[in-house]
Amino acid sequence: MLNKSTRVKKTIINRRDGNGKKNILTALGFLSPTLVIFCAFVLFPVFFSFYLSFHKWNMFSSGREFLGLENYRRLFSDPEFWMVLKNTFIYTLGTVPLNMVIALLTAIILNRRIAGKRFLRTAIFTPVVISPVAAALIWRWIYDPNFGLLNYLMDLVGLPSVNWLNEPKAAMVALIIMGVWKTFGTNMVLFSAGLQGIPDHYYEAAEIDGAGWWSKFWNITMPMLSPTTFFIMIMSMISSFQVFDIVYVLTSGGPLGATKVMVFYIYENAFKFFEMGYASAAAYVFFAILAVLTVLQVKFMQTRAGYEAV
Amino acid sequence: MQFKNIGNQHSPQKCANVFTANLRGLSKYFLLSFCLLLFIGCGKKEATKDDKITITFWHSFVASTIPALEDLIEQYETENPNVTIKAQYVPTGDALIQKLITAIQSKTAPDISWIHSDFLADLVDADAIYEMDHFIKSNNGLSKSEIEDIYPALLQYSSLRGKIYCIPMEATNLALIYNVDMVKEAGYQDGRAPSNWEELEEYAVKLSKDFNNDGKFDRIGFFLPIFPAAGPLSGWMVWQWIPYLWQAGGYIIAEDQSKVLYNSEAGVKALTLWKNIYDKLNLRTFTTDYDVSFASKLVAMAMDGPWNLPRFNRMLKNLNWSFAPLPKGPVKQATICGGEYLVIFKQSEHPDEAWSFVKWIIRPDIQARWAMKSGYLPVRRSVSEIPEFKKYLMENPNFKVFVDQMEVAQIQRSMDYGALQITRHMAEAIEEATLGGGDPKASLDKAAAKSNKVLQSYWQNAK
Repeated sequence: MLNKSTRVKKTIINRRDGNGKKNILTALGFLSPTLVIFCAFVLFPVFFSFYLSFHKWNMFSSGREFLGLENYRRLFSDPEFWMVLKNTFIYTLGTVPLNMVIALLTAIILNRRIAGKRFLRTAIFTPVVISPVAAALIWRWIYDPNFGLLNYLMDLVGLPSVNWLNEPKAAMVALIIMGVWKTFGTNMVLFSAGLQGIPDHYYEAAEIDGAGWWSKFWNITMPMLSPTTFFIMIMSMISSFQVFDIVYVLTSGGPLGATKVMVFYIYENAFKFFEMGYASAAAYVFFAILAVLTVLQVKFMQTRAGYEAV
Repeated sequence: MQFKNIGNQHSPQKCANVFTANLRGLSKYFLLSFCLLLFIGCGKKEATKDDKITITFWHSFVASTIPALEDLIEQYETENPNVTIKAQYVPTGDALIQKLITAIQSKTAPDISWIHSDFLADLVDADAIYEMDHFIKSNNGLSKSEIEDIYPALLQYSSLRGKIYCIPMEATNLALIYNVDMVKEAGYQDGRAPSNWEELEEYAVKLSKDFNNDGKFDRIGFFLPIFPAAGPLSGWMVWQWIPYLWQAGGYIIAEDQSKVLYNSEAGVKALTLWKNIYDKLNLRTFTTDYDVSFASKLVAMAMDGPWNLPRFNRMLKNLNWSFAPLPKGPVKQATICGGEYLVIFKQSEHPDEAWSFVKWIIRPDIQARWAMKSGYLPVRRSVSEIPEFKKYLMENPNFKVFVDQMEVAQIQRSMDYGALQITRHMAEAIEEATLGGGDPKASLDKAAAKSNKVLQSYWQNAK
């Protein structure tokens, strides 16, 4: 009896003191399916590929040869790597600003009381949910030099027809157009949410002061949206840098490697040439570039827009 | 003591505790059931009844040959009732090799798989597949004359560093497909195909037509397969260019594999031929698939393999078309020989049964049956002696073109290192000289420099 009661007391005490610990265990129990998947498919590959980046491994063999920094040295001396990096920057510089301007404009337009607003919103958002492969196949038809819709439309307004996918410069433009079409829907939704979060009385006060449309936009909408803008900018930049699927289907990196982007290059080395170590090194260098760019942006926005990135 | 707990339940905090306690129990069950699920997933295959052996066989045959394969497997299963062949189709060769890699690492490799010999070196280095001598020299093996009956080019392709690692299942090569009516219409009354490079270029131009006078050809005289070098069809493009390199007397690589030779004079000649045709016909704006265009009379000539014959026989019924050998080059007649090769994995639980199936497939009568149904070429010379097959050749002159071409069909010299990269470099050179408008020699030299660098680093590591 005595024994039993002390045990009960103990558990009560434990419960009081160790509540946090036990709760953590409970949480872990519930999270375990996700955690197992996360560790196996995200966490482990992240560290494993870092380890691989110092090795030579073709995935077939069980042995891995240690190379030190050789993979990194080879990467920086490979002209193709620099070309691919350049292409990735061109794509990002082409898509992100365009994407944001179009997304903001559509968000502002659709934020007004106009007919068919819901329909338009859905229609604009549709490309985001279409499978990238299917979308790229549709765009291949649109860009076809002989039977394509785009050249037909350009012909109607008297523009010369363009060989969209077989001309290095045109192919990058084609890729950027499709990239913007595919992704600006998400940003439109984010901007819409941001716009709805701006209290009406700011605008009412400005109207009483006689502010015009532009003045309201520039002095109220833009500053109030700056956290959203900042978030969208970073996210679109990262996703633009990571573009892969539409490149793979639309241009396969061609013509003449003009649309070969970073992730495509990593994929190719890993799964076409089976150079896992080299591909991992490229992935880590790419990660470092992205990290530096993101930190720079955060610093810039903190001073410029007073946005607290937490 | 129980009442104490019940009494305390009224305080909100205790309520919460009881709730979490319940949750805790629940989470345990959750974790348990999840682990259980995992175990079920990892569980071993159940032992099959009646000691029936299942042989798994991975392949990427084009969809049109699958019925022929099914017929073959059915035949084998009737002859060997204790064996089930489980054929698994993987849509592309690239996907197949990626699947194989994962399977080898996770010890779930199939018994048999067909592979492209580009990957042979990697598989051998990983000790994943059997050397075929292990079976050939066994009691249930093959005699020397049986081995010699296989076309030497195919056997060379099945070997690595002098040892046989796979068995060819069927052969292919490349021939010229052309629209006979268009050739006649262009003034070649006998309707025969171009027989040399000069004629090829001449035909290509004469058969091209600009119907609406917009300065662009609406009908293409000769389709050249120019695809993005990094794309899925890049290997297919290189495969079709290599015969021209050989026809001009060139080689891809030196015999000792110390450097590549495709940028030789022969290579420049071959690429210049392609570039000339490409530019004259302005193929830059021609982006449609060739077979569809051929069927709709927008392409007069192209290159293709025998695997499409069953499909073309059905698809091109109202067209007067024919296959012909590839035109003769400045030095010789040549075409490229391909095929699918079977390997047996060391992870297989029934390697001997797997071998029996492989051996059965290359039996002359089975080869004849397979060839007639699938459109692939037999791997053995003696198949042509079978009366039924002889009759079939008489009735199918297009198929005979391919079988006859086997005599001039070549295989590339073995590339034990960097084969994938070297193929890519050649693709880059072809794309640059045609679509990119570059100089053939400069493009080839640039590519060859890259290839030689790859070879050099391999040789340095080997030392």
